Amino acid sequence: MANEPLKLAHYRSRDAFAAYSFLAPAGIILLVFWVLPVILSLLVSFTNWHGGDTVADVEWVGLKNYRMALEDPRFYKTLWNTLNYVLWSVPLTLIVSLGVALLLSVNIRGIHFFRTAFFLPYVTAWVAISIVWSYFFQQNFGLANYFIDILNESFGFGIERLKWLNEPRGVIEMALTGVGQRLGLLDPARQIDFQNPLLEGPSLAMFAIIITSVWRDAGYFMIIFLAGLQSIDTSFYEAAQIDGAGPVGRFRYITFPLLTPVTFFCLIIAMIGAFKVFVPMLIMTPRGGPSNSTMTLVYFLYDEGFMSWRLGYASAIAYVLFIIILAVTLLQNRLLGGRVHYQ
Amino acid sequence: MLPILIIFLVLEALLWGWVLYRGFARSKWRVVGSCLAYHLLVPGAIVMMLPFYWMVATSLKDFESANQSPPTWLPIGTDYFAPPPPGFSDMAAEIEVDLPKTAGKSWEEVQSMDSVTVVSIERLGDTTAFYETPGSSLRRTRGPQWSNYVQAWMGPAKGNPDNPVTFSTYFKVSIITTVVATLGTLLTSILAAYAFAKISFPGREILFYLVLATMMVPGQVLLIPDFLILAGLPDLTFGLRWLDNYPALIVPWLASVFSIFLLRQFFMGIPDDLWDAAQIDGSSRFRYLWQIMVPLSKPALITAGIFIFLGEWNSLLWPLIVTTSPKMRTLMVGLQTFNEEMSGDFHLLMAAATIAILPVVIVFFFLQRFFVQAISRTGFK
Repeated sequence: MANEPLKLAHYRSRDAFAAYSFLAPAGIILLVFWVLPVILSLLVSFTNWHGGDTVADVEWVGLKNYRMALEDPRFYKTLWNTLNYVLWSVPLTLIVSLGVALLLSVNIRGIHFFRTAFFLPYVTAWVAISIVWSYFFQQNFGLANYFIDILNESFGFGIERLKWLNEPRGVIEMALTGVGQRLGLLDPARQIDFQNPLLEGPSLAMFAIIITSVWRDAGYFMIIFLAGLQSIDTSFYEAAQIDGAGPVGRFRYITFPLLTPVTFFCLIIAMIGAFKVFVPMLIMTPRGGPSNSTMTLVYFLYDEGFMSWRLGYASAIAYVLFIIILAVTLLQNRLLGGRVHYQ
Repeated sequence: MLPILIIFLVLEALLWGWVLYRGFARSKWRVVGSCLAYHLLVPGAIVMMLPFYWMVATSLKDFESANQSPPTWLPIGTDYFAPPPPGFSDMAAEIEVDLPKTAGKSWEEVQSMDSVTVVSIERLGDTTAFYETPGSSLRRTRGPQWSNYVQAWMGPAKGNPDNPVTFSTYFKVSIITTVVATLGTLLTSILAAYAFAKISFPGREILFYLVLATMMVPGQVLLIPDFLILAGLPDLTFGLRWLDNYPALIVPWLASVFSIFLLRQFFMGIPDDLWDAAQIDGSSRFRYLWQIMVPLSKPALITAGIFIFLGEWNSLLWPLIVTTSPKMRTLMVGLQTFNEEMSGDFHLLMAAATIAILPVVIVFFFLQRFFVQAISRTGFK
């Protein structure tokens, strides 16, 4: 009806008027608080705007803020921390959620109970749950170290109590050092030090936050995976069964390929979310954590922008974050986009 | 350890009983598969629920039992000796209690015991006090400390009489912000989605792609410019400020591209015949939208509403930036401040966290079906 070509002109203009007035409320908000800010942010990132300044004090400094970021060791530290967080938390979350979804799709009793149990953490606020987990990882009387004590007592492991949220050393380094010393390959006085942020892994403090985020977010992706699994036509499985495929073969050749669109969607959502992580760092490890090892890009932005009030520099960091997220999304579309269409 | 072992054995017995009862009728793989699934799912569910149990249990402890190593699993305070209250020595003349024997017994049980001469038991709030022999100290067995919740609710105000804000204030701000923002965002999204789905007008495609493109912008990029825009805007009428006030908390988030997209998809599935019929009956577009389209789109509206609600209620960064005065703190900012000021008092922090989590968990249990549907739907655009 609305697309009919033979319509009187004044009806069309009335339609257009109605459409624009319907669009106006959302449009104005989007324009003022989303589109305009993107431009304003870029402009601010080229200035030395400081919190207390009036507009007259502000100077155009060109690319100085970006150059400053490239020379700032704190910025690099932040970038590696964020990258480490993304590289560890995203695969862990997706593997756990896919695993639980697969278990629940076996059609067992009590699926509602388990689904609720795994999903419940997702509706809780990051702030509240970060407080709970910072108590869990508390060095002296937290449950995490208590479990290590129990392991030591029950199996004689002899693992040291860990410093968790106060430990700046990378987890890969710590694990290799521990195993090396136990096997007698490494001098007990020596620590492995890779001097490379990706090789040494996230700091143990960051790893504790990664555990928290896996615990919280796995349920969300589990629900999406479960919906994806339930949408796979059962006739595929019946056909495979006739052909003699075992459970592993069915997963490898039916479930996984047919699930790729959903996996791809989850991957993008999880990565974008992980690049923007901030709250657990603020609550669990105040002031950037041990040796700034849990300072992420958004935390850095918040710290520079609203603690130090260096709005120009913070805007430049915000733009770097923007470009990273954009690049990740486009790159994933490019690399994986061609391989996910099975319908 | 014994209770855990018994629970474990009972669960195993139930599982194997079920397998033996039902399993013969099924294929071999099914039985093995579901057994394996249970052995992974039950520990998994315990791990997922453990932090919640730990939070609630700790919220009912006192400082000593929350800060003891090894930790206690029960939600109770510590047994400890405290100096006798004033006037105790007069009262204590007839007191003689065999402590190990009376521990954990009720007042009636203790009175009926032969070997002890009791005495006096006093209830001090949540505390049951068993008095020991004359002149000695006083041993208290503490039950769950419900008063922690009262203390947490009073918030940091307790330590700072100049800022008499409690969690009542935080809840008020959060509820007003969330309700207004959720309803407002739904309203703007319904209008925009309807225009994109059902009205043909010049520039529709371009505008829609522009709107979709804004979804690529991470909200964190907007923090600084949005803050500057709000600071630069003139005050509203009646001297209503933007910053550190409800408008700053609500207005910038009154449009949701995700909701517009979701509702547009749903609206497009509603046949145009309805509009033709409504037009013949003389309905305006606006009336048609409210009386026909909106009631038909309840599932999509609930989906969008849940996401907007969760995002608003749980958000921390934006309220942290635009609010400065304590009376404008949202629940999350209030909790964050409480965490900073009370660090170390984990029993109170856990009580505050429970207070903050509980409303959403209750809403979740009532609307669980919709939550699951809402998230399932997002995977299939």
